[in-house]
Amino acid sequence: MKRKIGTALVAGAGISGIRAALDLAECGYGVTLIDRCPHIGGILSQLDYQFPTDRCGMCKMLPSIARDDSSQYCLRKGLFHENIEIRLSTEIISLEGEPGHFKVMLRGKPGLISHELCTGCGACTAVCPVEVPDEFNEGLSLRKAVYLPVPHAIPNTYVIDTDACTRCGACEEACPTAAIRLSQGERRQFHILVVDDELIVRDSLKEWLEDEGFSVDMAESGPEALEQLANCAYHLMLADIKMTGMDGVELLKKAKEALPDLCVVMMTAYATVETAVEAMKIGALDYLIKPFDPNALISMVLRIYQDFETGQGHLSDFGAVVLCGGAAYFNPAESKNPFGYGVLPNVITSLEFERILSGTGPCQGKLVRPSDGKAIRKAAWIQCVGSRDLQTDADFCSDVCCMYAIKECLLAREKAEGEIETTIFYMDMRTFGKSFQRYRDQAENEQGVRFERGRIHSVIQDKEDNEGNLILHYSDRGGALHDESYDMVILAVGQLPAAGMAELAEMLKIPLNPWGFAQSEPFSLTQTGREGILLGGSFSGLKDIGESVTQASAAALSASRVIHAAGGSQEIESDTSEYRDVSRDYPKILVLVCTCGNRLSASDPQEIVRELEKDPAVFHVEFLGQTCTAEGWDRLAGLAEKYKPNRILIAACLSYIYARKLRELARQIGLNPALTEAVSYHQSASNPRGSGNLLSLLRMGIARLRHADPSPVLSVPVCQEALVVGGGIAGMTAALAVADHGFQVYLIEQAEVLGGNLRWLQKTIEGYEIKTLLDDTRMKVEKHPRIQVHIRTRVIASYGQVGSFFTTVQDEEGLTHTLEHGVTVLATGGTEAAATSYGYGTSSLVVTQKELEQKLAEKSLDPKKLAAVVMIQCVGSREEPRNYCSRVCCASALKHALYLKSQNPDMAIYVLYRDMMSYGFAETYFTQARKAGVIFIQYEVKEKPRVKISDQSVYVTVFDPILGSELEIESDLLVLATGIVPALPEYIVTTFGASVDRDGFFQEAESKWRPVDSLKEGVFGCGIAHSPRSAAESVISAEAAAQRALRILSYKQLPGGKFTAKVRHSLCSLCERCIAACPYGARVIDTDSEKIQVNPVMCQGCGSCAAVCPNSASFLEGYSIRQMLEVVDAAFA
Amino acid sequence: MTDFEPTIIAFVCNWCTYTAADLAGTSRLSYPQNVRLIRVMCTGMVDPQYVIKAFLEGADGVLVSGCHPGDCHYINGNFKARRRIKLLKEILPQFGFEPERLRLTWIGASDGIRFAEIMRELSAQIRSLGPGGAKLNMVI
Repeated sequence: MKRKIGTALVAGAGISGIRAALDLAECGYGVTLIDRCPHIGGILSQLDYQFPTDRCGMCKMLPSIARDDSSQYCLRKGLFHENIEIRLSTEIISLEGEPGHFKVMLRGKPGLISHELCTGCGACTAVCPVEVPDEFNEGLSLRKAVYLPVPHAIPNTYVIDTDACTRCGACEEACPTAAIRLSQGERRQFHILVVDDELIVRDSLKEWLEDEGFSVDMAESGPEALEQLANCAYHLMLADIKMTGMDGVELLKKAKEALPDLCVVMMTAYATVETAVEAMKIGALDYLIKPFDPNALISMVLRIYQDFETGQGHLSDFGAVVLCGGAAYFNPAESKNPFGYGVLPNVITSLEFERILSGTGPCQGKLVRPSDGKAIRKAAWIQCVGSRDLQTDADFCSDVCCMYAIKECLLAREKAEGEIETTIFYMDMRTFGKSFQRYRDQAENEQGVRFERGRIHSVIQDKEDNEGNLILHYSDRGGALHDESYDMVILAVGQLPAAGMAELAEMLKIPLNPWGFAQSEPFSLTQTGREGILLGGSFSGLKDIGESVTQASAAALSASRVIHAAGGSQEIESDTSEYRDVSRDYPKILVLVCTCGNRLSASDPQEIVRELEKDPAVFHVEFLGQTCTAEGWDRLAGLAEKYKPNRILIAACLSYIYARKLRELARQIGLNPALTEAVSYHQSASNPRGSGNLLSLLRMGIARLRHADPSPVLSVPVCQEALVVGGGIAGMTAALAVADHGFQVYLIEQAEVLGGNLRWLQKTIEGYEIKTLLDDTRMKVEKHPRIQVHIRTRVIASYGQVGSFFTTVQDEEGLTHTLEHGVTVLATGGTEAAATSYGYGTSSLVVTQKELEQKLAEKSLDPKKLAAVVMIQCVGSREEPRNYCSRVCCASALKHALYLKSQNPDMAIYVLYRDMMSYGFAETYFTQARKAGVIFIQYEVKEKPRVKISDQSVYVTVFDPILGSELEIESDLLVLATGIVPALPEYIVTTFGASVDRDGFFQEAESKWRPVDSLKEGVFGCGIAHSPRSAAESVISAEAAAQRALRILSYKQLPGGKFTAKVRHSLCSLCERCIAACPYGARVIDTDSEKIQVNPVMCQGCGSCAAVCPNSASFLEGYSIRQMLEVVDAAFA
Repeated sequence: MTDFEPTIIAFVCNWCTYTAADLAGTSRLSYPQNVRLIRVMCTGMVDPQYVIKAFLEGADGVLVSGCHPGDCHYINGNFKARRRIKLLKEILPQFGFEPERLRLTWIGASDGIRFAEIMRELSAQIRSLGPGGAKLNMVI
């Protein structure tokens, strides 16, 4: 793939960063993906299991089109894409310029281990004498100071923890490739001047710093310091603020006048912190508070030293910046800590529990307590630790904890084979996402997870047995006190802003919300307020994977828009490089074996060469040392140049790292990259590798390569136009997003005007006017030269596949015409569900939330005349058949309650709810409503409120669990929250080849990893046709859908992958079993030619079709029967 | 019998089990060397004839291992494999092989430890079954 003009920076390589980077890269932009950690994957590198499957599935995020441009292996292992440059241990230092033309300074942390030389052998770890808590296992296990940050990741370069390392030099000696340079000597060159009038301070500082290897001088007063500065070149000055004579601030001023580049750190007593802050304004780099912690001092000096070593970093140009920095997690030990975290060994955080469950964790995936190895048979989860807690300044909900607690319960039950009691102590179970409620119900009713509503007072050590068990002291809903003993207590910790958030926001000039998370613009969850800088994932508050991924795609869209507007081209030039035509040549395989230093010594090279060269397809066999190093690779490339083979086989310890290099090498020598292969012999390091094993491995590789087909990758033509069905906010947003990239869009709306639900909505809970959004969007759509709006029109039928759909639409007069388009976005929306209970329809005193909103807007209802209002939540929702949460109802109830209270503070408002779903930062409105005197009464679905209606009043009877008795409330108005139902006719979905879920919403390909795609390539869903959501959430889902569509529209010819299924028509009996077997609908029967056709883009290369074919007519390229049978043969070498 | 070193052919899926095998390797876990891994894109593409071919060529045991149910990169390939292996076990005796010589497992990408465990377990199991019938009874 050739790149188009324009590059983007994605900061943060967690799940949202990967999504944003892949989305932009798949559209052809160059992307630099950075992360301050030494690995990609963010928090997901620590999490093995995700609901609803309770497994992984991250690899499903990899490109489904032009698959050969990216890695095709487990995404948790690593990622490469032709258009993505990944830079780890790298941070943004500064940003200047305009949207479309940002100049960003990036600085990488210098590694003490060379990436080029490290082979990942682990000899260094074996000799390292230092042991510190392993952050990968959340401190539950120990690691050495030289370590692998993530055991499964590649490249598996070791890193040195510079804070923990004692510089003993053992690893440097042990390293067989001289990859480690501790550069102790270089620290001597770093001169530090310590200025303090107290001798003891000067002496101890000198001692500490000299232990670290720095050169240290001392001065006891300001004038003396200035004199020394004039005589010797210092890199860093540590200056005390309070000194007799010339004080520290004056010294700083004078020193800076003479030496503007000098780094100065102020030392201050606690009382003069303000002075130190002032000092920073006039040029001091930082300050330290006395008495200092030597570790804090050393790590600060080391940081300054590293900055000095790396210099000022690299300046790069980027069109847009997507911030995907994720979030941090609350540390219960740093607060009031009633649960004894950090004190009681068996009280752990949810993240620590994930590590216990993990196969790479401290307990090897066994469900035991890390403290004493005892099996966990009774565990309690405590929700909302660091969330929904005003005492820890956390007036927000962290969104994800309820669901992961349920998941962890289910995983624990699976691991313990049901022999475990699991209890979740919660305030509200916030199961507000698609399918979440059913997941919870299943956990409760089928799996036996106990849900206990209540707040835990405290956790104490169980005194009666000495096995480390814990007593949970709590009161239930009725006020009765309980003490229960548990093996383990898991705290569902809430969110905190990512580390360094405030500094980053200040540098980038982007606003933060009151809790320190990035603040987005009204109706947009991705815009920061500074154009060209976008928010993805949890940077603006914790999100689950599905939402992070959606938001990342939406951020990618906004970034792409900025780059496009600044002159980035939108069309991908297809790969024009010509490969040598080797289709008629005999196979001429060059076999290269990396000896991996001398670790391959067990095998006899000469014997292997002799054996292999018996095969006429093998042209030359060579053993090379360390092909993973730059030097080794050059030798290898030289051989490829010299022998001009038409197939190359490499055997090395880690075949993964060769995937990208091999492609480059193949191009270099004009060979189709599909004719190269890397095989891995790193399958067991404990046993010596017998030559027989290596020989069979090589023979298996040769067997596959011999029959590799050199024909080019197939592609399908793309009609670069889009069809958007539905003209609500989602449809309009998607249409604009696509059209802004220069592609024609047909927008189909069955009503007379565009706008959908926005036409009756008034304000959001935050107080933003919906009308502004509607008018603005509608005007842009109607004026857009590339959008053709068809109102009063409906879709009749469609046929076709990705790149070329033909859709027939019919207007009100019955006239039909056919539109050709390459992609389809379904945004048909939804409506408020009909109310059928609680006396609705029998009295004007019973209304729905929507009707209330309308009545308040048209002022047909005077709040001043209402003495009491009752709102009932979850009317007909969150129970079968509509067993899902509609997300918006709790927020609208809070919005209306707060409005009514503001208009008439004397009004009594009762909200009868099951679980308040004020997720995220909407929690603060729940707090506000309670402060305003709104009364919330929780009811159970088994004990619903009862309603009696008279002429003047509605009498609602409900059981109040706190009072423990029934209440009868007389009110003037009863408001029912009925939730959302989709308006997505099934025939429309199926005509495009997609499907609906059991509730009638759009069925996504994968709820977590591909949330807006359908399984059929080229069809996308967004807005409330996809799932219930607010206006702003509809906007991001529409932007995400548009971004996914743009990946396809960017091509004139859309390439598939090398390994796709094909059909030998002469053998095919048209039994159509392959059509049924294909999970992607990539196969159709062409009735005219009577042939099975495979769409090379939709085919993902699973080979299911080949396995079901009774005649072996269907086969998977690269894995044909001939190849596979030869591979099996070769395995016995 | 104690000297018998069984040959085991393992068809492993590219996404999960192959990754787990790799993790077992990089984590330096020990497992028997007599397992030959054949990487396939998905267990759903393992044609019964590959398995039978492996047995006929002299394999003492065959393992097919992919992603956990619900986790398949290709949506449902592992379910297809499950059905197919069940049927294959039914007909294996007709070829003269005990059905216990064929095994289907799910090993996720992060289950390096589980991979090594299963390999040891399988190796022990096959060792107790003795050499496969092909080498002894058939002329190939």
